[in-house]
Amino acid sequence: MARAKVEQHPATGMTLIVMVGLSIAFLLFIAFLNVVKTGNILSEANLLYAALVFYAGAGALYLGFGITGTDAYVKFASLATWAGLIANTGAVAHRWYEAGHPPFASVYEMLLSFVWTLAALTLIAEKRYGVKVIGTVTMPVAIVGVVLMELLPNEVRPLVPALQSTWLHVHVTLAMLAYAACALSFALAMMFLIQDKVKTEFFLAATSVFTVVIYAAILGRFERWGGLSVIAWDPENKTEVFIARNVRMFVTIPDLGWLMLLVFVAVAVPLALYVLARVKKNEAFLDTANKAVFVSILLQALALVFFILRARDGQYPSLDAEGFYPTSLAASPFILAALVGGIFANLLYLLLLWRREDLERLLPDADALDRITYKTICIAFPLLTLMIAAGAFWANRAWGSYWNWDPKETWAAITWLVYAGYLHMRITRGWRGRRAAYFAILGFAVVMFTFFGVTYLLHGLHAYA
Amino acid sequence: MSLSLSSVVRKTWQTLSSVKTGVILIILVVIFSAAGTVILQRPMTDPDDMQRAYSPAMLRFLDATGLTDIFHAHWFVALMLLVSLSIIAASVERFPNAWRYFARPYKSPDDGFRRVLPIQAQIPITNEEAALSTAERVLRKNRLKSEHIVRTNSFSLFSEKHRMSEMAVYIVHASLLLIFLGGIVDALWGWRGFVTLTPGSASNQIEMSNGANRALPFSIRCDGTGEETYTDGTPKKWWSKLAVVENGREVFRKEIVVNDPLAYRGVRFYQASYGRTGKLEQLLLNVVPKDGKTAAREIALGMNQTVELDADTSVQLAEFIPDFVVEDGHVYARSTDISNPAVHLIVSSKKTNKSVNVWFPAIEGIAENAASPYTFTPKDLKTGLFTGLQVSHEPGQWSVWAGVVLMAIGLTFVFYVVHIRIWVVPVKDIHSGNLVLWIGGSANRNRDAFEQTFKKLAEQLRSELKTQPAAEAEKPAASMAGN
Repeated sequence: MARAKVEQHPATGMTLIVMVGLSIAFLLFIAFLNVVKTGNILSEANLLYAALVFYAGAGALYLGFGITGTDAYVKFASLATWAGLIANTGAVAHRWYEAGHPPFASVYEMLLSFVWTLAALTLIAEKRYGVKVIGTVTMPVAIVGVVLMELLPNEVRPLVPALQSTWLHVHVTLAMLAYAACALSFALAMMFLIQDKVKTEFFLAATSVFTVVIYAAILGRFERWGGLSVIAWDPENKTEVFIARNVRMFVTIPDLGWLMLLVFVAVAVPLALYVLARVKKNEAFLDTANKAVFVSILLQALALVFFILRARDGQYPSLDAEGFYPTSLAASPFILAALVGGIFANLLYLLLLWRREDLERLLPDADALDRITYKTICIAFPLLTLMIAAGAFWANRAWGSYWNWDPKETWAAITWLVYAGYLHMRITRGWRGRRAAYFAILGFAVVMFTFFGVTYLLHGLHAYA
Repeated sequence: MSLSLSSVVRKTWQTLSSVKTGVILIILVVIFSAAGTVILQRPMTDPDDMQRAYSPAMLRFLDATGLTDIFHAHWFVALMLLVSLSIIAASVERFPNAWRYFARPYKSPDDGFRRVLPIQAQIPITNEEAALSTAERVLRKNRLKSEHIVRTNSFSLFSEKHRMSEMAVYIVHASLLLIFLGGIVDALWGWRGFVTLTPGSASNQIEMSNGANRALPFSIRCDGTGEETYTDGTPKKWWSKLAVVENGREVFRKEIVVNDPLAYRGVRFYQASYGRTGKLEQLLLNVVPKDGKTAAREIALGMNQTVELDADTSVQLAEFIPDFVVEDGHVYARSTDISNPAVHLIVSSKKTNKSVNVWFPAIEGIAENAASPYTFTPKDLKTGLFTGLQVSHEPGQWSVWAGVVLMAIGLTFVFYVVHIRIWVVPVKDIHSGNLVLWIGGSANRNRDAFEQTFKKLAEQLRSELKTQPAAEAEKPAASMAGN
């Protein structure tokens, strides 16, 4: 159905470019009016806003390319990415100058650097390796990153004594590079699986599991009477509210939990249908599952809208203390990112479902993708090693011990071991192709857990990041 | 089947050295480390929190199996030792072969080798010697030095670079063992403790993390400590001036800050905490006589210090309570934080031998401030500072850092340095019987890139051979065409 729709109205190359160009111009004009009012052109906020506008334009064009395969889009998309990257570089430089240290000290600053790296890598992957569709994936991630930055507390905070070390900067820079390389290897492994004629159902199962995990994690804060607990926010000091050291205070938004539960069911339906199709060996269930994905995207969008509306501000009762306390989107960046990520993953699946042949035509061949995946991991692994070593050296100077088995350290070691396992299987056992690709995907899942999961689920010494 | 000792040893060795065992051990380490980040761990977690989190039976089970302190449990240490043994066994098992390969490079390929080598090319030639010298020149142009291999019935060329790359994986494994060794040394002989010093005091007693005390052969003296803050009040810097005193002599001196410790004889002192002791050093008071006979003046009092106010009256600082609470007409200290301080002064008269209790603040029912012949106003309160030093002795850390450096070198070789070998042999083609120059190449990794390099090299050689002995080459080329 939807596939037929796209084919009935083949968007010509120019229409989308002109539309995107006009929207960029419009948004920049709005921003210009704002600049006239405040009289400060090159503030960090404006640079970041410009980066957002350009990344969004690039994202739209890359998506347009992914859907139609029109080469003209890529040219303008990379132009927009360049513009975004320049604005982003300006923001990084501004931050660095203002803070007097490289921007790695808070979640906001790390995101700033991460988005910059992502945009730079996109351009490298596109120009150097000819992986043109990569922007379809990276640009939306960059957009989410910039939007999160707009929400997070962004004033320059002075560095507390433990963070005043060159080794910290070395450690974090290496971490960013290593994680970016891991992300790239993940994307390449996924593309390999597409080129390797892995059935579309596999991606259906993968995206469904991913989305189900997201909503299950969100529902971990489901309270009785259908409320959803989010972290309380102190709008004056722009920080989360703590009731004890490392213990955050939660407020419960009424009824939002029910909505999340409903969406959880909706995203579980495609997975259930997939399992049913597998068990009963009936392909008809898969068609229903694909329709269910479409429905679940709509519901997920609804959940996102309601979440933003209710968690943006407002006073809610808390389970930890008497009375009502405020919250803000800034207190729940990871729920927001998870919601957007879920929608995005499902949209990517729909893209694959509808335009698989085009995608296969646009991607490099399977062998090349397999090799590039391996090469990316060959870059990621030494970086991971050095990152851990620099972290240990810093810990040794700051706390008198190079290894404490704190959760972040342990998980970094686990990441390292997983990639070490990959390399051993590939070099000594000759693992190629799919098995290697699955391993690369597993490796990135562990990286993501080390980066986000450990910070928010397990706490330890790494309270800064 | 007899289970002789040697066969058991051989079996164990084979199992230990297999890649499969290695991967299984890695998976076990991963599972248990992950468990160690999910299950609450003993020394770090408060015992009360542990009891709140798990049921008593569960907690007993976790404690008995060592799951509440996984990373120091005996079986985890045993697992790490097994990993080390597996690395050693795997390396020892494979090393002799690799060493032979490394020490005695295969220089003149035989027929069988030439047939199966995947990367090769053949170029028709007429003159063996001329062709070989051309090949040598072309190789040199590509920055490859070549060696003349003379056998009884043949001449050939052998060229290679970065042979070291074959050994790289052993370097990486050895570096891992060095890191483990450092960890084991520190686990056995290393220690961690804490010492709290106030300015002017010295100590050689370190309070260990297990509660015991350790005496150092030297003592550490604090000559001052302090804090600098940013304008918004967040701490910017904590510093302590430390001196090492050995046999009564000062031998070393350093101002330490966070991230820059003092090290002396393998013992390192880190700035870990900083604060106020809750003990009073000096109290400044404004004193005004109630009868107005003498002028107002300012006095400074230390703990238990007495100051004469006039010929008859004296005042003593009797008590300082940093955080006071009143219960049943008595004053108690609630904590040592200076959050709610109270001061107790005793004003006594020699003549009448009477004393009056003056309190700040004036606590109802206890304070007799009105009966005092002087009015006191507290001006300033100086409390003591302390610096908390983390002390550690890690004799194994140098092995760890050496391992890290070695690993960086090893990984560079493993991933980025390719061992390339090229053989050039003039042979008779089996089918046609014509003389050809056989060139073969191999690379231990990144083969697709090497294949491109090799193709280019063969192309270069082909064109060089064609242009150079043009006159002579014409005839055989024609005859080739005839075939």
